Amino acid sequence: MKTRPITPEERQRAFKPTKKPEVVEKQKLDVRYHVEDYDVTNRPRRFLEAFAAILKHSNYQMALDHFIRMSAKCSRCATTCQVYQATGDPKDIPCYRSELLMGVYRRYFTMGGVLRGHIGDDDYLTDDKIMEMAESFWNCTACRRCSLECPSGIDHGLITHLGRYILSEIGISPRALVVSTREQLEGATGNTSAIPVPALADTLEFLQDDMLEEKGVVIKFPIDVEGVEYAFFPAVSDFLMEAETLMGVAAVFTATGDSWTIGTGYYDGINYGLFYSDRILERVVKKIDAETRRLKANKVLIGECGHASRSAKYFLPAYCGGKDAYPVINIMEYTHRAWKEGRLKFDPDVITEKVSYHDPCNIARQRWIIDQPRDLLKAICRNYIEMTPSGEDNICCGGGGGTVSIDEIRPYRTTVGGKLKADQIREAGCKILVAPCANCKKQLRELVEDQGIDCEVVGLHDLLYKAIIFDESLKVKSPDENKEESQ
Amino acid sequence: MEAYLSFAKGPLFRLSLAVLILGLARIFLLDIFAAWQAWRRAGDKTIPWKLVISRGLEWLFPVKRIFNNRPLYSVFSILFHIGLLVVPIFLYAHVRLWENALGFGWPTLPYEVAYWLTVSTIVFAVLLLLGRLLSPRSSFLSRKQDYLWPLLLLVPFVTGFICAHTAVAPATYQFFMLVHILAAELIFILIPFSKIAHCVLMPLSQMICTLAWKFPPETDDAVCTTLNKKGAPV
Repeated sequence: MKTRPITPEERQRAFKPTKKPEVVEKQKLDVRYHVEDYDVTNRPRRFLEAFAAILKHSNYQMALDHFIRMSAKCSRCATTCQVYQATGDPKDIPCYRSELLMGVYRRYFTMGGVLRGHIGDDDYLTDDKIMEMAESFWNCTACRRCSLECPSGIDHGLITHLGRYILSEIGISPRALVVSTREQLEGATGNTSAIPVPALADTLEFLQDDMLEEKGVVIKFPIDVEGVEYAFFPAVSDFLMEAETLMGVAAVFTATGDSWTIGTGYYDGINYGLFYSDRILERVVKKIDAETRRLKANKVLIGECGHASRSAKYFLPAYCGGKDAYPVINIMEYTHRAWKEGRLKFDPDVITEKVSYHDPCNIARQRWIIDQPRDLLKAICRNYIEMTPSGEDNICCGGGGGTVSIDEIRPYRTTVGGKLKADQIREAGCKILVAPCANCKKQLRELVEDQGIDCEVVGLHDLLYKAIIFDESLKVKSPDENKEESQ
Repeated sequence: MEAYLSFAKGPLFRLSLAVLILGLARIFLLDIFAAWQAWRRAGDKTIPWKLVISRGLEWLFPVKRIFNNRPLYSVFSILFHIGLLVVPIFLYAHVRLWENALGFGWPTLPYEVAYWLTVSTIVFAVLLLLGRLLSPRSSFLSRKQDYLWPLLLLVPFVTGFICAHTAVAPATYQFFMLVHILAAELIFILIPFSKIAHCVLMPLSQMICTLAWKFPPETDDAVCTTLNKKGAPV
C-alpha cells in the first residue's frame, strides 16, 4: 500500500504553527505541540544527564549498542512509514529519526565517540539538535510498523520511546498528556478524564436504564463488588464518549453470567506513560495492580483500547511481580472465548452494511489479538471485508503514540499521519469501520471527517450489543405479560 | 614480489583472520552478556520464543517480505549476499587455503558456478552502490562507510576474477593476487568494527529488541534518585 506525498496546500495546513512566536522564543522550542514552561538553561547538559540516568537503570544500552554496531542504512523502512510516505521528507525516515538519538549515544556513551570528542570534533549536542529530536519523535506515531521491515531487526519504535522519555525528563513533552497524567496520578479524581465517582455512577445508572428499555434485560455495571473474576479497566474516556462500547461489554457479561466489576478506587486503563515516560508507565501500572488487589479480583480485564491493553499486558508483569502478577486479558479475548464456548449467541443478520476491521497497532503488531475480533465480526456481519495490509502489518490510524490526545496537532494527524489509512479506508469502501481502541476511534473519526470519507467508526462491542441474543430467562417480563401469567 | 606474497599469505593472513574471529566473537559475546544481564534485571522474564524465532528467520531467509517494498533492490541485495558468502568460502583455490590453515577442507564449487557467482556479485555490488547513490532517501541516510564498503568488497572479487579467469602475464598476475589478498585481509580486519558486524549480530536482533522492552522494576524510584527528582510533581 502506497500513498502520494501531500500537496503544498496540505503541507501548509498540516505544519501550520500552533504557537505564538513569543512562546516559541521563551521556550526555545519550535514544535507544533504545546509544552509547559520548563527550564531552558543548559538543555544539552541536562539531556545528557537524563540519558545517563535512564541508561543506568534500564535495558536500553544493550539495544543501543546492538543497533549502532549493525545499522546498515538500507532505507527499507522508509517505504513502510506512513509519515514519510505522506511528507516525502527524508527527515521522516524511521532510520534517520533513530540516528538522531543513536548519534548522541555514539558520541557521548561509547569509547570511540568520547575519544573523538577529546581529539576535538564539533559534533556536540546542541539546543538545535534537541529541538530536532523534540519535533521528530512526536511526528512518529510509534506504530512500530517499520520494525517489521528492517532486515537488521532494529526496533525504531523503541528508540522513539526512549527519545521521548529522555525529553520528558528535561520538561519537553506534550502538555495535553502531562496534564492528564497529573490528574491521574495526583489529582482528586485519579483518572485522565477527571471524571469523579458520582458522575461515573450517574452515567452507569443512566446506561443501565437505557439498556433495560432497549433490550428488556436487566444489564448491570457492577460497582465495587469484591472477589470477582475480572476487574475492569476501560480507557476512562469511554465513560464519556463510547457509551455503546461499554453497553456491549455489560451485555456480554450479563449473557455469560461471569463476575466482573468496575472499582471506584481506580477505573482508568489509560497509560500515557507508554508514550512518553517509563516512570509514569510504572506508576500508572501500579495503580491498576493496587485496585485489583483491593477488589480481590483474579484477573485484570482491559476494555477496547490498544495502548491500555499493551501497557497492562506487557508491563504489569514487569513492574508488579513477574509471573505472580495478575493475568491481563483484553475484552475481545474474553468475548471471543465465551462465544467459542457457546455461551453467547448473536443474530447473524442484524448488520448488513459493508464492515471492515482496523487493527490497533498496540495489540496486533506483536501478533497478540488479530483473529478473535474477525471471527466475531464474521459471525454478526453479512458483509465483512478485509483491508490490506492488516493484522501484524496493519497501517496505523495516524494518531498513535499519544498524538491523538494532542488536539492542536489535529491538522497534522489527519493530513499527514492518517493519510495512508484514509486511502486504505477509501479503497476498502466500507461503511462501518470497527476499531476496538479509544485512541484509534477518536483519530479515525477525525480522519474520515477531515478527509470527507463516508464511513462510521465504531467499537467491536457496539456492534455485538446490537447483535446479542439474550436467553428468554433473562428477559424482564412487561407488566402486561406478568398479568397474563398470573391469570 | 614473491616475498610480499608469501608474507601476505602467511603471517598477515593469520593475523587478519585472528582479528576477524576474535573481533566478531567479542561483539557477539558482549551482546549475549548484555542480553543475559537485561534478562536478569527484567521484571517479566518470559520471552515469546516462537515470535522471536519466527521473526528472526523471516530475515535470515528473506522470502516473506522482500516483495513488500523496493523489490528490485531487495532481490539484488539477496543475490549479492549469496555470492559474497559462497565464493570466498567454497571456491576451489580458497578451500585449499582453508585446508592449509585449518587442517581440513570441504566440498568446492564447480568452475562454471564459481565463474558466474563472481560475475553476479560484482554486478550486484555495482547495482547496489548505484541504488544507494541514485535513491534520494538512501543517499540521505548514507554515511561514508555505506559507500566505501561496496567499493572495498569489489576489490577482491575483481582481482580474483582477473587472476582466475583471464590470461595475464605472471608479473601482473602476482600483482593482482597481492592486491586480492591484501584487500581481503583489510576486509577481515574492518568487519568487526563496522556495520558488516551484522553478519554475526543479526540473528540476535529479535531477542535483543524483545529484551529491551522488558523493563526492570522500580526504575521510577531509581531514576528519580539519580536525577535528584524525588517527590517532584508529575
